[in-house]
Parts: sequence; structure tokens; C-alpha cells
Amino acid sequence: MNHIKLLFFATIRDRAGTKSMEVDIPADMTILQLKEKIGTDYPNLKESLKSVLITINREYAFDEAVVPTDAEIALFPPVSGG
Amino acid sequence: MTQFPTIYSITESEIDLNDLLAKITLTSTGAAAIFAGMVRGVTSRGDSHETEYLEYESYVPMAEAKMKQVADEIREKWPIVEGIAIVQRIGKLYPKTPTVLIACTAAHRDTGVFDAARYGIDRLKEIVPVWKKEIGPDGQEWVEGDYIPKPGE
Repeated sequence: MNHIKLLFFATIRDRAGTKSMEVDIPADMTILQLKEKIGTDYPNLKESLKSVLITINREYAFDEAVVPTDAEIALFPPVSGG
Repeated sequence: MTQFPTIYSITESEIDLNDLLAKITLTSTGAAAIFAGMVRGVTSRGDSHETEYLEYESYVPMAEAKMKQVADEIREKWPIVEGIAIVQRIGKLYPKTPTVLIACTAAHRDTGVFDAARYGIDRLKEIVPVWKKEIGPDGQEWVEGDYIPKPGE
């Protein structure tokens, strides 16, 4: 098992109702598989996951990336700073 | 060789232009290109509407790392740039309040320093994790960007 931290921002945080949570996931899970798991476990996030950006340890990450041990994963919509 | 100053931060405090400008001005500096963005109370372009205030939030440690990356990219493209300051204010911000500042300094104005500052704000809006919620007379809505970062960005 891999114990990871999930962070949510903006629209995703509103829908999740929390800023962060810690979850256990199987070792060698990919970002795509993690998204599927989050969509299943938290159905109200499913719609948001279609256009979500994901980071692993503060770097943008993509579907095929494997989630490393003790990772900090963030989910958020395209940025709108300035 | 002089170490060129690079300042990047997410802050809840007022943006102090004079202080930042002093920090990125060297004895060899003769020009600064400064971009400031502020909260617009009345929007007439596109979907015209009024804004009471904006509420900004950020993934601060990543945002500051990405601001550093934007500064590194500026130095790569415009090696003549001397000082760089990139500051994003977050929290609840009202119309006319400066929210973001990008400033680049160089020896002379015809060195690409204007383009460097322009690149800085454009890039910030693409990859620095900051979001704003717009609160107006008709309710509130998150503003979403449209840029999808590519691997390595």
C-alpha cells in the first residue's frame, strides 16, 4: 500500500468539501487509475475530473505517471491567477 | 560577476512597487518594464458585468516554485534581463487593488525587457497555481483558465 496526501483547490475543493485528505492506494497505481478511484469513491467529483489538472509533489503530472511513495497529489482546475 | 536579483512570492500583503523596484535595480540598471494587474470593477469586453471583489487562493509552495521557473525561463530567453520580481497577492481583493506585479530590469529599454515582462505575466497565467472566485451582484463564480500544461512545464 501507498499512503498519499490529496490536496484540492478552487472548484474541486468546493465540491470535495475539504482542502485535503490522506488515503491509502495500491502500490504502482497510475494517475489515471487514481482518478478513476477518486471518481468512484467521491461521485460528486466525477464531473470535475474531466478537466482537472493533477500534480505529483508540486510538478504537473499526466495519466501514465505512477504515483510515488508518500506522494503529495493536488487536483485543481486550469489556473486563473493574475 | 554580479548576482542578478530574482524575487518571487505569493503574499497576502499589499504589493509595494517602490520596494520591489529598489530590490531589482542595480548600478548597471537603466530601465524597468513593469506590469501590474488589478481588480476590474466594471467589465465591458465580452460578457459585460460588475465585480464586487475577487477572492484569490493558491497552492503556495508550488506557486512559488513555478514563479521561480517563470523567472528562469525569462533569463533563458532574455539573458540581458538584470532583476526580476514576480509577486501575486491573494485573499479578498476589491476593485482598483493591484493583484499581481511582474517587473524586469535591464541596462536599456531596447533590450527586450518589455517582452520579458509580457512573457512573465502570460506564463504566470498559464502555469502558476492561483485561482480566483469572482463575487458580483448576481452571485459568485470561480474563474477558470484554459491552459493545460504540457509534460515538463
